[in-house]
Amino acid sequence: MKSLILLLYILLLSSSKGWAQETLDANDPNSFIFGGDQKSNTLSVEILPLAIVDVEPDPSGSLSFGASADDMEAGLPPMGGSGTNVNEELWLNFTHRSFNNQPARIYVSTNQVVPVGMTLKIEIIGAGTDGNYPQNPRVGEIILSESEQVIVYDFASGYTGDGQYKGYQLRYTIDNPEGVSLPTGFEVLYRIE
Amino acid sequence: MYIGLALIANISYGQILPGTLDVTGFPSMSQTVEELVKEAGADDNGVGFESTIDATLITFILDSSTDPITGATVTSSQNCSENIYRYSVYMHTVNAPQNMLVEAKTTFNSGVRFPTAILYDDLSSQPLGPRDLRPENGGAYIQIPNDGSTAIKVFEFVGCREDIPIQFRVKPSVLDVAGLKNLDVYYTVVGSLN
Repeated sequence: MKSLILLLYILLLSSSKGWAQETLDANDPNSFIFGGDQKSNTLSVEILPLAIVDVEPDPSGSLSFGASADDMEAGLPPMGGSGTNVNEELWLNFTHRSFNNQPARIYVSTNQVVPVGMTLKIEIIGAGTDGNYPQNPRVGEIILSESEQVIVYDFASGYTGDGQYKGYQLRYTIDNPEGVSLPTGFEVLYRIE
Repeated sequence: MYIGLALIANISYGQILPGTLDVTGFPSMSQTVEELVKEAGADDNGVGFESTIDATLITFILDSSTDPITGATVTSSQNCSENIYRYSVYMHTVNAPQNMLVEAKTTFNSGVRFPTAILYDDLSSQPLGPRDLRPENGGAYIQIPNDGSTAIKVFEFVGCREDIPIQFRVKPSVLDVAGLKNLDVYYTVVGSLN
């Protein structure tokens, strides 16, 4: 019985192996000089440059700040002391193929003015293990404004992997002691070039 | 009957006659915007892009020879009619970009028998089977190595054959710098008696 099971196992293994690749040492003329031949031609391939960037998770890549009613305390600012002014759930993905080895950067800015009394900061605090890209693009916080600032410095071609927990982990920090609101349609913009 | 027996004897015991491989076409492929990866974070080697079906045509026919007894010239056509061998075609590339996948394929019975019809085709028992072409991997694309020491078999055929079309598909990684790349594709034909 054990022999039968072993035989079935071997048969299953061999059937799952599929198509076996047959190869030849074509550098050795003896392999084709009698009754064969070898020739070549040129294959021309043109590939395009590529630069796309995304914030995950999809679809909106949105985040919210603010203390819950349970965390609010008379005498403290609206977003003080409970850690709710920090968000580390968004990840920055990119794919980039350079042209003529021109390095690229990723810039960050806002589409509207950050309200007076509020400070919005962003920092890359980690990197996922998928893909092939620089793991330490920049150290330190950036205070966001309408002016573009570099969040990922010069890199050549690369890709991060697609989705949350891939690419660069972002930390947003909001300092909002006066409790002002962001305007409707406020966005943080990323541009890769 | 006598000719049939003579053919079988020739196939079974004869030395493989020399032949010539002819490769025509300069395949050129350009990636379009629609063929680029659409999702940030993903590599660009998922879908790839293809050449035309007949980007390259290859032909293998036996060389003409001289009859050792009469001194008369035996044409390629005559040699291909009277000497049937099996040919395996292996492919590899040279100078392909490091992260670029190059694939090739042909279809079942592509190309044309040379000569178109011969006595062998009418034998009830054909030692090497019909003069057909059989692609490897069921006719699906096969990745071509950028290493001549591991050239990979793409198809085989019986008897001389003309104008076998080869189609290419390229899957470029974003790690390959954009622009025009020229790489050499090698075709190696190996004949056998069985």
